[in-house]
Amino acid sequence: MSRKKKKRSIAYRDVELNIMPFIDVFSMLNTFLLFSAVFLSVGVLEVQIPFLSSQPPPDDPKDSRIFQVNIDVTKDQVEVQTSYSRPPEQAQKFPFPNKPEGLKQMHQKLAEIRKQNAATDKATVFSDDEVNWESLSAVLDSVMLRVEGDPIFAPAKDAKSKEKAELDAKTFLYPKIVMGSVMLK
Amino acid sequence: MASVGGGSNDTLSLNLNPMLDIFSILITFLLMSFSTDPVSHDVDAGIELPQSSTIVALDEIPAIVVTKTEVRVNDVKVADVIAGDVPEKDRTQGAIYPVFTELKKLAEANKRVTKTAKVDDPNAKGSTGALTMEMDKGHRFKLMKRIMLSAQQAEFVQFKLMVQKELN
Repeated sequence: MSRKKKKRSIAYRDVELNIMPFIDVFSMLNTFLLFSAVFLSVGVLEVQIPFLSSQPPPDDPKDSRIFQVNIDVTKDQVEVQTSYSRPPEQAQKFPFPNKPEGLKQMHQKLAEIRKQNAATDKATVFSDDEVNWESLSAVLDSVMLRVEGDPIFAPAKDAKSKEKAELDAKTFLYPKIVMGSVMLK
Repeated sequence: MASVGGGSNDTLSLNLNPMLDIFSILITFLLMSFSTDPVSHDVDAGIELPQSSTIVALDEIPAIVVTKTEVRVNDVKVADVIAGDVPEKDRTQGAIYPVFTELKKLAEANKRVTKTAKVDDPNAKGSTGALTMEMDKGHRFKLMKRIMLSAQQAEFVQFKLMVQKELN
């Protein structure tokens, strides 16, 4: 005897999906994220100024002849000056126009100078009073920051953190900038 | 689909699908741009920052804010800026006296904190730390120099100058 399979009818029921909590959560999340959204990314340029001290500067005969890099900034021109602290000073000057193309050329020159004198990681910037902050920040960018294609110099040996020193070596051309114009009259 | 019952027997169906589409896309975008930086700071309305290709992020709220019209230290107005400089009555030896007095208080407070707090670097004990400065891009270096001189007198020698990161 063959058995006939009984077909069971599947009853479909209408199910209502309550999306009101979903809309509540989305609207709260939206409000929070809109208020906390940051549409302007901010960074910093770290600089130092000369430190006033009543003590005489250290006179270490071993480091007596130090290679110095100075950058003189005016409204129209940026001049890179290199020299040694003791004779023979071998002073050299490299002027560039204070414009984007001039700053690019200055950056290339500074990269060459750093290659020849890798131990000197400090540059002193002297700025005219009339130079505006926007122009000065472009010069600081050009002096401080490494761009693609620049050589990576060895991290500073006296660095407190090895990881930070390695990151600084990849990020900066001249990590230490001193604002030399900041002196009491 | 949500339904809204009216006064009469007719019901209005409100189509929420487009609203949910917009919400989900907006939330996806905002979640992706949500900042998890330690510091969230809104640039002052009276300031336009210069652009820079720096990758160093801001890590503390700026102590000195120099807008087009005033100088503030820790949100307290200390001097006016008129024609790009502070009035002569506030100046002494090239520095700005009200800025110096506020920064001196800040320096004392920072020294007390760093003396007692555990710090990794022994040289940082009792130090004043770095000063973050937010300044409008149109100001001349003369004004920045005055502020730095004032800070130098208050024993601050490290500065973090705020800039706007360039979009790559």
